[in-house]
Amino acid sequence: MPSEENLSADVVIVGSGVAGSSIANELARAGISVIVLEAGPRVDRQHFVENFRNLENKPSYQGPFPAVPWARHPPDQQTPNDYLHTTGPNAEAYQQVYLRMMGGTTWHWAGCAWRYLPSDFELKTRYGQGRDWALTYDDLEPFYYQAEVMMGVCGPDPAVEDLGSPRKQPYPMDALPISYAAQQFRKLIQEKTPWRVVHEPQARNTRPYDSRPTCEGHNNCMPICPIGAMYNGSYSVYHAEAAGAKFIPNAVVYKIERDSANKRVTAVQYFDPDKGSHRVTGKYFVIAAHCIETAKLLLLSADEQSPDGVANSSGHVGRNMMDHTGVQVTFISGDQALWPGRGPLETNVIDNFRDGNWRTDRGAYLVHMVDDNQVDLATQLAISKGYVGRELEEQIRYLASHTVRLFSHNEALPDPNNRLTLSKDHKDILGIPHPEVYYKLPEYTVRSCEHTRYVFRDLIKLMHGTDEQWTPGYFPQDHPAGSTIMGTDPKDSVVDGHCRTHDHDNLFIASSSVFSTVGTGNITLTVAALALRVADTLKKELAHA
Amino acid sequence: MRQTHKGQPVAEWCASPNAMRLNKLLRMSRRDVLLGGIGLSVASTTGAVLAADTAPATPNNEDLSGFMQVSQRLTDRDTLNPQIGAALYANIVHANADRKDKLNALHALLEREKFTTASAFAHAAEKSDPKLKDVIHEILTGWYRGIADGKVVVYRSALMFDITKDAVYPKTYATGGPFYWTSKPPEVARPKGHPALSASALVIEPT
Amino acid sequence: MPDFSKTLRVLLSASTVIGVCALSQTPVHAEDAALDQAVLDRGAYIATASDCIACHTKPGSQPFAGGLKIATPMGDVISTNITPDPDHGIGKYTEQDFEQAVRHGVRKDGAYLYPVMPYVSYAGMTDQDVHALYVWFMHSVKPVASAPAETTLVFPANMRSAMAAWNFVTTKEEPESGDSSTYDPLRRGKYLTNALEHCGTCHTPRNFMLSEKQDRYLAGTSLDGWYAPNITSSKTGGIGNWSEDDIVAYLKTGHANGHAQAAGPMAEAVEHSTSHLTDQDLHAIATYIHQVPAMDDDMEHQARDSFGKAIEAQDIRQSAPTRIDDLTEMDGQHAYDANCAACHGQTGMGTKDQYAPSLFHNSTVGSARPDNLIMTILHGVQRKTEAGDVSMPDFSGHSDVQRLSDAEISKIVNYVMATFGSGDPHVTADQVAQFHKDK
Repeated sequence: MPSEENLSADVVIVGSGVAGSSIANELARAGISVIVLEAGPRVDRQHFVENFRNLENKPSYQGPFPAVPWARHPPDQQTPNDYLHTTGPNAEAYQQVYLRMMGGTTWHWAGCAWRYLPSDFELKTRYGQGRDWALTYDDLEPFYYQAEVMMGVCGPDPAVEDLGSPRKQPYPMDALPISYAAQQFRKLIQEKTPWRVVHEPQARNTRPYDSRPTCEGHNNCMPICPIGAMYNGSYSVYHAEAAGAKFIPNAVVYKIERDSANKRVTAVQYFDPDKGSHRVTGKYFVIAAHCIETAKLLLLSADEQSPDGVANSSGHVGRNMMDHTGVQVTFISGDQALWPGRGPLETNVIDNFRDGNWRTDRGAYLVHMVDDNQVDLATQLAISKGYVGRELEEQIRYLASHTVRLFSHNEALPDPNNRLTLSKDHKDILGIPHPEVYYKLPEYTVRSCEHTRYVFRDLIKLMHGTDEQWTPGYFPQDHPAGSTIMGTDPKDSVVDGHCRTHDHDNLFIASSSVFSTVGTGNITLTVAALALRVADTLKKELAHA
Repeated sequence: MRQTHKGQPVAEWCASPNAMRLNKLLRMSRRDVLLGGIGLSVASTTGAVLAADTAPATPNNEDLSGFMQVSQRLTDRDTLNPQIGAALYANIVHANADRKDKLNALHALLEREKFTTASAFAHAAEKSDPKLKDVIHEILTGWYRGIADGKVVVYRSALMFDITKDAVYPKTYATGGPFYWTSKPPEVARPKGHPALSASALVIEPT
Repeated sequence: MPDFSKTLRVLLSASTVIGVCALSQTPVHAEDAALDQAVLDRGAYIATASDCIACHTKPGSQPFAGGLKIATPMGDVISTNITPDPDHGIGKYTEQDFEQAVRHGVRKDGAYLYPVMPYVSYAGMTDQDVHALYVWFMHSVKPVASAPAETTLVFPANMRSAMAAWNFVTTKEEPESGDSSTYDPLRRGKYLTNALEHCGTCHTPRNFMLSEKQDRYLAGTSLDGWYAPNITSSKTGGIGNWSEDDIVAYLKTGHANGHAQAAGPMAEAVEHSTSHLTDQDLHAIATYIHQVPAMDDDMEHQARDSFGKAIEAQDIRQSAPTRIDDLTEMDGQHAYDANCAACHGQTGMGTKDQYAPSLFHNSTVGSARPDNLIMTILHGVQRKTEAGDVSMPDFSGHSDVQRLSDAEISKIVNYVMATFGSGDPHVTADQVAQFHKDK
């Protein structure tokens, strides 16, 4: 039975990541009462920094974040991993990781803050593939800028380097000067190929910004920036709390209640870690709980009124799962020493494959030359090759200074068969089912990945590369999208162009789960922009109420 | 507790005349609060040695000394840190029941043949017993990567970072201030040395 | 006891100067023809060297429009609008009115200014420089038509008339004469240090009447939580062990390798004022500072920047990553490693380029007073000069980067000072709390 506390607010938000916390901040600053329910605990940076240093498998981005049992997240990208159960022909390609804790998954992103291209919102109209969004680039442009200011995004001057997404204002901060390694890569691409390397827009300080310091290149954006030079959702949590929003950690929402007409949400119920149940009422509700957990919660709230789950009259909740499934290769360049790992992780991109008429046939993609410290990998490689002593040390220096890692973000398409369901076999300690995802890569994405492999082979040849290590199969990019897809027709979509559910007037979703297509740029800036647009809608409606 | 002149503890820094005068003018007296707190302050060690959270089981001196000799030869280094050596030895032996014997075998081989290079030693060891290759990998993984028994024994102090510190620092540690990374790092000549051991598959842990 | 005779002499000589000086009786206006660019340039430079902007501008607001709250032992003083707006600023001031305010602390309406306005220092300004400053303010500063809130102080300091008595007993700079740009380095240095930069305002302790104690000139004192250190030529208590170039580098960039770096109010002084002075002037200040009589310090018995060395610690680890909700308080060494070592290094050496400075050979850590180390951790460092935009985040209870408890901060302070500095000061959490109480 729900306890007798009187928890109520104008707006109740589920999830404290970049989406939930930025909405909370906007609303609280406008004097609107807000309660944010976060399944995971409060956390702090210093313990994560030490956790990383104590972590044996350093490339594991989930490693420094061992979950709490009442709000589990995937422990790693392995199959099986005992939380996110993936099945289907490309199960391993959908082994997404994310974090359930205050501030959300941006604790371990790399800060890549792309706007989508105008064409990304109109894939169906322009190329006959996938779907169109129920909004246009122009609708989102002001909110993209607001999100860039909120996070502190640095990026190139459009007059010098046009990234294809028209801007009304310059980036809040100057572009990040790229490393010597990236400069050499950029030069090579410019001189020897028809392509180009651009400065990646990043939510990373190139000057002191928002009481946080300038990036010093600790090279550890993922899994943990040690100095807070990169944006993460916890800053929006702090700002929202300072503005009066109430955050309740360790509150695992398991039920969305509606009125008798099933038109309006009236309350949500959550478990505390001891499975005590609590009820929170409000005028508006926003689910901002990450693509996977958002769909899980809607399905979990199924009852007699909504046997297939809340907001699911279309049957599309949990369907159309997408990602930027990628290709990854590491090799040893035969040219000059590059010493990757000096500066932040992801700073530069080949952006020629983000758009083109070939999108009628194969997915778009972008290519990252990852600038991460390769000393550990070089050491493992040199030892495995049989070197010892002085020769080993020479090899380590050589390999660490010549290793190149490339990976791509390849565009998926919404396919209703790629589907999230509630596990029938696996439940957590609160009795809540684990998520299960069936995934088969769309042929559109497979063709895109094939193209990427050709390009990577060209690049390896161009850099006189040896010792190629291709990551087997397809590489999940942890950019899940589509599980509560946006559209104009309530029969085949879950939310409208304002991220309001078609079924329930006062229920909004702020997550990549609303994406109609997934484009190529990292999803976070678009998530934040959509969230700020939801905040704008709520402010207007509450002002009129 | 360190003493200043007149035998006053340093914690009374605020009791300087200037501070006393200003504190009188302030709403609260910081000095009073400070003096009240002195009794609670506890002498703590000023040593700079970073102690381990929990010390590994202390190995027998002879075994450890053999391990250190084998390690020095395999790294072609005259000196290696004995505390790290003790921690690595304890973890390597803990991970695998036969490692003590294998390490003794390596040490015996080194004593007998008096190798002058790591390569000669490693090559002869593998020839004498192919299983010694794994042990050599573990020793090198320990010293260079700082890892043994599936654990981080040292992070920053791993030798792989010592030999690359002219160019990069371990992740989470800053090499320079903002934008230092635009400068040209050192060139590295293509190595001419050869492997001493047979090649093994590189197994990269999934992320 | 205040030196009445000296004060009287100063006052008398000041009035004499005014008497013989033909000051303009009407306000200067922008449209006045034939403004001499050289005078404007001089005025701009004097304004910078006097750091008017630091107090008369609220961060993020219009320059010189006032509104900055300045904490004093008597309460907050709110700086005024000194733009040439006729109604809200000083637009109606004649040069004589202006001179009275700048050098004597008397407002146009006859009211006395609070001595937060360092007119006791500016009293030393030459007539030529006051004139240039006036012309520059009237001509080059953009008028802002808004007035900040009035200052409300507690009795007796709220009686502006009481300031007349204070002015009578306090020590003022003796006015300089002639063309200050032609002074020899020592005289120029003294002029810059005392009359313009008003270094003594912060670095000279004050007596019970809040007047600067001339017998402890530049010998160091507390200031709103920070400790403005002894900068006399004492080799143990002061900065007598610094070279002239060290002082110049410090004033120009806020950083002198192996000695010190500016944070808090000094970072502002460097950013807004000293970093904009000519090298020649910085050398003049250094020349002068070098010969300021050495004052020993009652707590510092060894140069603050002489302590410590890089530590050769092995980071032997035995812990696995802990669960995300484990927020256990760390001991000093681990808290240092988790929060400070990313930039300052586990060895304490800082970054190679010293953007993040070494913690040994560092005045803040080597001082016997932990005040500035505590304040740096609570407030971080912000300092922008041509040499770079330096930022260290704060670790206070309001930090977005990492919120440390007072206990954690005390442990870090004790560890850092024991390991790299003058020894463990045994700071407690309660002591740390005093540095951010009511803020």
